[in-house]
Amino acid sequence: MKNNIIILGGGQAGIYAAREIRQNDLKSNIKILGEENLLPYERPPLSKDFLLDKKNEEDLYFHSSDILKNENIEFENVSISKVDFENKKLFAKNDDVYSYDSLLISTGSENKKLSLDNNLKDDVYYLRNLEEAKKIKEIVSNKNKITIIGGGFIGLEIASSLSQLQKKVIVIEIGNQLMGRIIPKQIADLVQNTHLEHGNEIILNKQIEKITKKNGIYEILLNDNSLIETDFVIAGIGSTPAVKLFENTNLKLDNGIVTNQFCETSIKDVYAAGDVSNFYHPFYERNMRLESYQHAQNHGICAGKNIAGVKTEYTSIPWMWSDQFNLNLQLTGICDEYDEIIERGNDINNGVIYFFLKNNKIRGACGVGVIGKVGRDIRITSKLTEKDTIVDKQILSDQNLKLNKLIQK
Amino acid sequence: MSEENWIEVGSTDSIEEEDLIRFDHQDKTFCVYRLTDGFYATDGICTHEAVHLEDGLVMDDEIECPMHQGIFNIKSGEALSPPACEDLKTYPVKVDNDKIFIKID
Repeated sequence: MKNNIIILGGGQAGIYAAREIRQNDLKSNIKILGEENLLPYERPPLSKDFLLDKKNEEDLYFHSSDILKNENIEFENVSISKVDFENKKLFAKNDDVYSYDSLLISTGSENKKLSLDNNLKDDVYYLRNLEEAKKIKEIVSNKNKITIIGGGFIGLEIASSLSQLQKKVIVIEIGNQLMGRIIPKQIADLVQNTHLEHGNEIILNKQIEKITKKNGIYEILLNDNSLIETDFVIAGIGSTPAVKLFENTNLKLDNGIVTNQFCETSIKDVYAAGDVSNFYHPFYERNMRLESYQHAQNHGICAGKNIAGVKTEYTSIPWMWSDQFNLNLQLTGICDEYDEIIERGNDINNGVIYFFLKNNKIRGACGVGVIGKVGRDIRITSKLTEKDTIVDKQILSDQNLKLNKLIQK
Repeated sequence: MSEENWIEVGSTDSIEEEDLIRFDHQDKTFCVYRLTDGFYATDGICTHEAVHLEDGLVMDDEIECPMHQGIFNIKSGEALSPPACEDLKTYPVKVDNDKIFIKID
């Protein structure tokens, strides 16, 4: 049967869903509606290789327009202003109406903004999309001292890139460690040391009281009354799921769109995937919302299968990474439910991993090392987690013993 | 097939089963693998981003990139899992007197 399938949101989850639907369904119309006038592109390089001029715009696209054309996947740049779930219609700002039989919502997430009480809102920059990355790249080219508000992944990746561009960088973080929302302190401290070694200044436990501008220079007043002068301010203080469009509908929302393990929402024929979805994870037996590359891709693929009628549970063990300077940080599973921590390695040059165990099984792990040094072990850890393996702690803690010995075939 | 294109990589006992070694020759990097049924070789850099595969996971005839988890079949080079979508180049391998050789074009 030929259906109209609409994918609302032109990011990673959307494009992978579209291609997966097409793999299983050659007949239906598939249309992606994107707010940016760009084919879906990779965001991770924006804060790294794009700022460093190692990648340009053309390198970022997931798939060429030829591939989409060959697979008969339409992409339209349009901004939707209203959704009528009852009659299965989307209304665009330009009055166009889109009817669907199945809808995937993959609207992603939006940057949280600093609440500034003066007219400097447009002076503080955020980085989520290509346009913002381009602006930041252009502006920093003639600035020297740059302050980043927020010591999470995005802020620290920008700090690493700007340091490599010979800028003086200050990072201000409200918490008592970097990347505190998801990264264990032990790993965060190793990353912090690397920033300090490269000359970046890290200020923890401080809040912004006020930002003012005098003669083109910004003054940031902190809650201990210290004052930082800076040429440019970038903020990366987290994000929220992009659900404004659905707030006055009967779609169930709770920190994003609530979905089950099949990417199904509370409304029939409406699915959600990627950052915007607060999904049920059968392995962890709880709902979670993730903002990561692997999740956007795999959740999109899973939604695509389910939309195409191939009933598929989403069971991917969470995995994410961050690259800063010559370090690659990786996290798998969840690191906040444990009764034991095991450390593997103590030298960042060979990689350091902390495993978080509960009842002798791995729930999650986080590692950091010079690029390439933790990826394999973290990947094996994902497999051990997925298989719910009782692990030999001696092997986990001894870097001379290979972790793949733990995988039972 | 001219003899001079076969380049010696090392001895067969330099690679454990289900593992790989990196081999650099001139300006190129290769990965040479020992699987249960013999030795195989591919390009050493992931086709998705310029990352060395030497630190990747070898399992069930597959190599998985340590950075973004793109997966390739070691024997055919086929990209099996996104984000990898471009196949990995493979190279012929022979073993002679316990030494591994790969044929580079």
